[in-house]
Amino acid sequence: MIREGSINIPFLYAAGKAGSEFLVALRDRQQLLGSHCPACARTVAPARAFCPGCGGEEMPSVDIGPGAALVSWTDVPGRGVFALVRPDGADNAMLHKLLGPAEGLRPGSRLRAVFADERQGHITDIEGFEILGEGS
Amino acid sequence: MSERISVAIEMAQGWRYSSGDAMARFSEGLRRKRIEALQCGGCRRRYLPPRPVCGNCHLPLSDWVPVSDKGTLEAWTVVFLPFLDARTGEVRDGPYGMGLIRLDGSDATLNHYLAENDPARLAVGMRVRAVWREELRGAMDDILHFEILP
Amino acid sequence: MRPVAIIGTGQTDHARRRDDVSQPELVREAASRALTDAGLRPADLDAVVIANMELFEGRAMPELWVGEGAFANGKPCMKVATGGTSGTSSCIAGFHQAASGLFDVVLVVGFEKHSEGHTQTGMALTDPFWDRAVASGALGNFALSISQYMAERGVTEEQAARVAVKSRRNAARNPHAHLKDADATVDDVLNSKLLAHPVRLMDMCPQSDGAAAIVVASADRARELCPRPAWVKAAATRHEQPYIGDIERRLLTMRTLKDASRSVYAAAGITEPLQQFDVAEIYEPVTYAELAWYEILGFCPEGEAGRLIEDGVTEMGGELPVNPSGGVLSANPVGATGVIRMAEAASQILGRAGAHQVEGAETALVTGYGVYAWADAAILGSAA
Ligand SMILES: [Zn+2]
Ligand SMILES: [Zn+2]
Repeated sequence: MIREGSINIPFLYAAGKAGSEFLVALRDRQQLLGSHCPACARTVAPARAFCPGCGGEEMPSVDIGPGAALVSWTDVPGRGVFALVRPDGADNAMLHKLLGPAEGLRPGSRLRAVFADERQGHITDIEGFEILGEGS
Repeated sequence: MSERISVAIEMAQGWRYSSGDAMARFSEGLRRKRIEALQCGGCRRRYLPPRPVCGNCHLPLSDWVPVSDKGTLEAWTVVFLPFLDARTGEVRDGPYGMGLIRLDGSDATLNHYLAENDPARLAVGMRVRAVWREELRGAMDDILHFEILP
Repeated sequence: MRPVAIIGTGQTDHARRRDDVSQPELVREAASRALTDAGLRPADLDAVVIANMELFEGRAMPELWVGEGAFANGKPCMKVATGGTSGTSSCIAGFHQAASGLFDVVLVVGFEKHSEGHTQTGMALTDPFWDRAVASGALGNFALSISQYMAERGVTEEQAARVAVKSRRNAARNPHAHLKDADATVDDVLNSKLLAHPVRLMDMCPQSDGAAAIVVASADRARELCPRPAWVKAAATRHEQPYIGDIERRLLTMRTLKDASRSVYAAAGITEPLQQFDVAEIYEPVTYAELAWYEILGFCPEGEAGRLIEDGVTEMGGELPVNPSGGVLSANPVGATGVIRMAEAASQILGRAGAHQVEGAETALVTGYGVYAWADAAILGSAA
């Protein structure tokens, strides 16, 4: 015997200190924020409250992007192209969407963040990354 | 403190569960207002819900025994607090009575709704009987609730 | 197995809503404080155990998300999720990791952010063929069990109310507690809103946002790092059959808690718990459960829990102070709640419990409680 059902539950997540700062910067300044660890000399994207490398909590925010380099991607039929992109100034990649077809892409292809006209402090304030060219 | 951002996300997830043979037979029985338990050949415990193995003896269970739709109220409460039911996304308002019922012929108790929701009229040990829905679907909520017998 | 000890603890200030921090940031608060308390740096940790009930927050793999907050990057890290016992079970897992010789220093962190989801609704996602249609979360289950306990043992609403008063008064001296009320009275409890007969608002634990952590160390490291470690004398976990109707008379018998406690009593030579324990931090999700646990844990004969609370035996200054922290009734971030019990008991032995310190506490009992059935027990002591 098979029974089908559904689960419907609303959630409300606090973005927290670093997450709120990141989302406010997207909304108000159309700006990507990373966090820089002086001890590791490393900048992580998106901004976070503590260093994934050394655990340190002294993590000043730094502007990164809007230019970015493509790291890897997948084309999901019907849903678009998802990619790991490394914003300029960051040492790691973040997951987002590519605007445009996956043709001719290669690791290192140059991208640029495109911001939504209506922004509300949400990750979708970045509409996606447009493809500029093949890069160096 | 700078601005705090919160992000709302609605979980709306579909599920598909398979019952296993024991629960399939039990659920089919409900369509005919028939309740059956599985009895352990080791400890003689009559299990509701029926299941493949006795949790105490670890023996496989295969002996079906009939269970009445009448029983004794072992424990009860009346819930006043509204409750968000994830199956529907709707709020279930209070007050509603709930009981743990030992059906005649079973050793485990069954939790279900009670027709009575006045705490002054409920007591441990009362006799109760299942009130069945008009349309039976082969599910636990084929029993609407249990009514108190005089 | 090697002896192990708790050498540091850390907690957030538990609250209804902590929307100033994300889940990883909340975890970091407790983890940082535990490290500071133990005098360690992140690099000193060998492994991390995380406790959380992910369905309450609807987040897959929370240990991956919050692990960074718990200094887990690049280290062995795992999650324990066993309902209310998640916290105590994760501590016991940490004890085993250190006792086995696998690791020398283990950080255990539990957390929950109930404000971000719907705990009772999540809890009600039980067997879809059996009791999901009639599930009412923790409240309904507790309330059901209580009618039977009251009928058989003659416990009164007033006696239960005294537990709530003790809890909120004790909490007033605990900076981490969520619900504090130094002036709470029995009448306040009896006049509070009826949630599910006979459970009133003040009888019930709150839903809190919070995190708690302990640092577990092998004997050698504990002696190096801590002047007065809280030694783990014994620990046990017990699980039950799956359905509430499987358990004979529930609060009255609670065989998991009885078995777990008797197992640790035997291992630690406890024959007279009321006399031999100096303090207890027990997992009481509702006032009536605390009374039932007095009987199950052997603090008094069956049927005498009401007298025990009336006589003040379990108050601060009584023969056995139970929950000087204010207990679960005063703060309940579920994944953290068991860790809080362990951290509070350890703080008592470490002599770091501040305004709610039981002077000279040398032997402490900790219990955990999960769903309506599971139980953990542990004994901490000042002597290795
Ligand atoms: Zn760093
Ligand atoms: Zn059996």
